[in-house]
Amino acid sequence: MSAAADGSGPTAKATTAAADTSTTLKDQQKPAAALEEDDEFEDFPVDDWAPEESEVPPGQEGGTTHLWEESWDDDDTSEDFSKQLKEELAKVKGQK
Amino acid sequence: MEVLCREYWHANQEGSGPLLAATISPIAPPNYLNRLDAIYGDTNAASISRDISYSLTKTANAAIQYPNPEINSWTEIYSAYWYAIGAILAAEHPTTKPDWTKVYEAWKDVANTVIKGYSGGVLEAWTLPVLYTAGKHLRAFAIKADENARASGGDTSFNAGGLQEDIAGDFGKNEKLEDAARVINRMFTLCISDRAPLEESRKWGLYYTTNLLFKTYFKLNSIGLSKNILRALSASKTDMPTLEAFPRSHIVTFKYYVGVIQFLEEDYAQAEENLTSAWHMCHRSATRNIELILTYLIPTLLLTRQQLPSSRLLSPYPSLGSLFAPLTLAIRIGSLSAFDTALAEGEHEFVKRRIYLTLERGRDICLRNLLRKVYLAGDLDEEGKRNTRIYVKDFAAAIRLGESGASGEGMDVEMDGSAGENNDEVECLVANMIYKNLMKGYISRERGIVVLSKNGAFPGTGI
Repeated sequence: MSAAADGSGPTAKATTAAADTSTTLKDQQKPAAALEEDDEFEDFPVDDWAPEESEVPPGQEGGTTHLWEESWDDDDTSEDFSKQLKEELAKVKGQK
Repeated sequence: MEVLCREYWHANQEGSGPLLAATISPIAPPNYLNRLDAIYGDTNAASISRDISYSLTKTANAAIQYPNPEINSWTEIYSAYWYAIGAILAAEHPTTKPDWTKVYEAWKDVANTVIKGYSGGVLEAWTLPVLYTAGKHLRAFAIKADENARASGGDTSFNAGGLQEDIAGDFGKNEKLEDAARVINRMFTLCISDRAPLEESRKWGLYYTTNLLFKTYFKLNSIGLSKNILRALSASKTDMPTLEAFPRSHIVTFKYYVGVIQFLEEDYAQAEENLTSAWHMCHRSATRNIELILTYLIPTLLLTRQQLPSSRLLSPYPSLGSLFAPLTLAIRIGSLSAFDTALAEGEHEFVKRRIYLTLERGRDICLRNLLRKVYLAGDLDEEGKRNTRIYVKDFAAAIRLGESGASGEGMDVEMDGSAGENNDEVECLVANMIYKNLMKGYISRERGIVVLSKNGAFPGTGI
């Protein structure tokens, strides 16, 4: 529950700050309410469905591996940040 | 009244809970748009109860014996329903100011008469969808009533000054929804306390009512109360049908909420299990629900498996893409500054969805990827083995670059000026990585180098 408790910190702060003027308070409340509404798990239009109508039908769980990737990327040597890093490391080496 | 009563007998004949539940729906079906008006206009407050009981008897196929508890129960339910329709039609009338509090109170009578029908042993388990309909709309009307009260509360105390308005705004903010939670809780108790044999037990209503409670508690921001429900459920596990025996809509919703609760409690292993299975089982056209499940599954997998969503996974859900793509990219390339920017830019949304703190922990993975790159950039020895001794200075340079987001000339100055202090910080970060098992090795302080493990310097990343 600590996540929820900590999470209320910034929210509470925002509310106090907004309380300065009633107009900002109202402005801030509206989108928040809309978001909560939007956030709710919806009722399914049907009570039950066939296994094959599921997002990942039973037996096909193995097919989801390509939907998740490892958090690192080894094929990005041409990408800007990696290039900069290499240059930077070369620079440090020069100073040793 | 005859329309309503015919529907009632038809549902009974079919033994169909959903059909029976439809008889007390506060929403007119598309093929009979003036159903509510027709029922309401058919009688008046003075004769409602007599009318219904008379019609129910008249439309029955067989002779009815008196006194008939079923007819009595449904006379009470339909009378309450008739009053509720009156309140709904008034609220929906275009020229009047809607009074949702009145609708809520009227619907609460419907819910209470339904509960009475079950607790008195009159309504059987196959009619459970009636209980669901009563509970579902009770909650919806409560939310509307509270919104209404908040809006009009703001009007009346408009001139009362900032401070008082604030107090008025906080007081009774969710009065009706809290009240609805108590009624729904009674519905839950009704289901869990039923001792009838499983085939005809109200225990089949347990997950539906649990889900309704979860939704209500989440809305009230009292997620902790859900724990009581979970405890009660696990206590009666032995004399309950297994979760798999329930309809998929009940299971998926239940697993989603349980997964989110575990996520918030930082029990990520359990959260992963429940959210993954909710995702798999979710109806494939329920896009919004899949989106919600993934909103929590993505941060969970980042921590449990250090996996990121592929663009293929995100592409059907543009809002998920804009929520997670910048952060995902930053982690993948190991750019700390891009990570910090993405986290700051998404902060409002992340906090709102209660995933900020979990995502923040992704910074460790981002740093791991950065340090990993330093290692990979190192030289190979004559045997083709990578150098496992890395200067703290090298890591420091990488972190500086990662944090600034660009290699500027200014950094050289900083390096000359406060190199020692800076290296202490870097050693601290590295020690942290080692402690969290994201990196394997040790720091040799006197030599200013990090000695990485020769096999598996960065566990789980293939090197």
